Amino acid sequence: MPLPVYYFISISAINILMSWALYLPYRVAHLHFLTIANMAISGYTAGWLVMSLHVPFWIALLIGFALGGVMGFLISFLIGDAPTFAVVIVGFTFIYITRTVIENTKAVGGTLGMFGLPSIGGNPVFHRWAILIILFAMLVIFGFLIHRFDHSRLGRAASTTFMDKDLASSLGIDIKKMGMLLQTASCIIAGGCGVLYGFIFKSFHLDFFTFHLVGIFMTIIFVGGYSTMWGSLLLAPILYGVPLLFPPAIASWRIVIYGVLLITVLVLKPEGFITRKFVHSIETVLSSKRKIRNM
Amino acid sequence: MQVFLAQVLNGLSLGSIYILLVTGFNLLLLVAMIIHFSYPQVVVFSMYIAWVAMKYTGGGPVIGVLAAVGAAILMNVFCAPLFQKVMKKRGEVDINSTMVLSMGIGMIITDVLSHSFNNGFPISFEGLLSGHETIFRLGLISLQSGQVAALGIGIVAVSGFFVLLYKTRAGRAFRAIAEDPNGAKLVGLPILRTSLAGYALTGLLGGVSAILLAMLFGSASPGLGEQVAHKVLAVSIIAGLGNLVGGLVVGLALGVLEALVQGYVSGSWSNSIAFVIMLVVILIRPKGLFGIKL
Repeated sequence: MPLPVYYFISISAINILMSWALYLPYRVAHLHFLTIANMAISGYTAGWLVMSLHVPFWIALLIGFALGGVMGFLISFLIGDAPTFAVVIVGFTFIYITRTVIENTKAVGGTLGMFGLPSIGGNPVFHRWAILIILFAMLVIFGFLIHRFDHSRLGRAASTTFMDKDLASSLGIDIKKMGMLLQTASCIIAGGCGVLYGFIFKSFHLDFFTFHLVGIFMTIIFVGGYSTMWGSLLLAPILYGVPLLFPPAIASWRIVIYGVLLITVLVLKPEGFITRKFVHSIETVLSSKRKIRNM
Repeated sequence: MQVFLAQVLNGLSLGSIYILLVTGFNLLLLVAMIIHFSYPQVVVFSMYIAWVAMKYTGGGPVIGVLAAVGAAILMNVFCAPLFQKVMKKRGEVDINSTMVLSMGIGMIITDVLSHSFNNGFPISFEGLLSGHETIFRLGLISLQSGQVAALGIGIVAVSGFFVLLYKTRAGRAFRAIAEDPNGAKLVGLPILRTSLAGYALTGLLGGVSAILLAMLFGSASPGLGEQVAHKVLAVSIIAGLGNLVGGLVVGLALGVLEALVQGYVSGSWSNSIAFVIMLVVILIRPKGLFGIKL
């Protein structure tokens, strides 16, 4: 497989997963940017385990997932029911603190970063296929789980919380537990993505985990549509891929393009391109066709 | 002791700029009902415009001040219809969507600054606006023109703002809308015009803050806006969103805390310690020390 195709597919998959990681807590109106810090923490930890302690990649990956989940769970105790702006600021603060800690930690390369991560199985071709298979397995598993969540009682409870927290409370929904569940789930996804993100490039650098990532994921989720998981699935490859086709002079402005797109969509189509109504109408069409075929 | 005093002085001048920024941020929150997260990025953009104006016209600080204030007011007023449109589309006041919109504006500003101005390198101010002229020195304690200006003009600007808010008809209109927008509409207050005045006034405060930041730091970089934006939102949350008096106390306290940490802790750990303290306060009291006033 040509390298550009490999990078396009793997980074698109990471972007989809990370947008889902933001989508989940946004179901209860939480913009949970702690996920970006989690990517860095889990990624660097896994990198250090593999490079310094020679821990096998698979175990390091599992530790990355677990670390993300534990961090998300512990922080969610305090901000599980906090207002959106408090959740945002906690996320940003964690990004700054994480960056400072990594910058000052020589064991993970400090400002220089961590280079020369080994290939999985000791073979570059196997490494690339392994990364792609893991990413697509994650897409299928997490996609299925999120889809089930959206169509469950819990999903309806999350939607109610998004619309009106007071109403949700009076209906007996435990807002804090709901927030904790979604924040923890999103941090588990982010932890795994952080490890894979570094192993795609076989290196970790602080520039991987900047505020640009916040902008990219936020654009994917709000332009694609924050009320369903399908918007991110559709838009992540487009938003990542289309600027790659532009001449370099224009492609370097991609964050500005994302910003303009984000503002335009928020002003003209606040729910994004793929709305719940749109998904519902497609589901209706598909199910009616299925019924006709069965008759 | 001398280090302590020197850092307290540094902190007070830095804190006075935070106060200006938090006051502008809170005014927008109260009157226009938006979380303008990228307001500090607008301020940093104004610093760049002042730098461009002085560099290419060869003009002095007056040109710089006029350019900064003009740019901040224009940027704020230009953004107003976007915020109003988003709020109208949602059918009700929605702080979350205005915050996301503002983050989008911030993304554009930061990227434009890192592409189009000085090839993305930090800019440095010269002459009076550099603020590095030493006015007073006693051992380790030195007072520079930028610090004196930040402290003096900061106090005057905030006092003037509070006089406007509590002693004038326009101020009463601002407070009425902040207290009860529907009631204010019922008694005939022009909501849109007052909101626009709020945008313009915060633009004015932003322009003044831009000049003071230039005098205090002597330089600016594209990433400065993000860092300051984060601190301003944190100060506002720690104080209690929309709490003007709380913003004064916490803004000043953060400035002094940051300066003290920088004085006693080496390297880039200093910023992190200030962030950890901010984080602890936010985690323990997400509704703020002085209570939310919305």
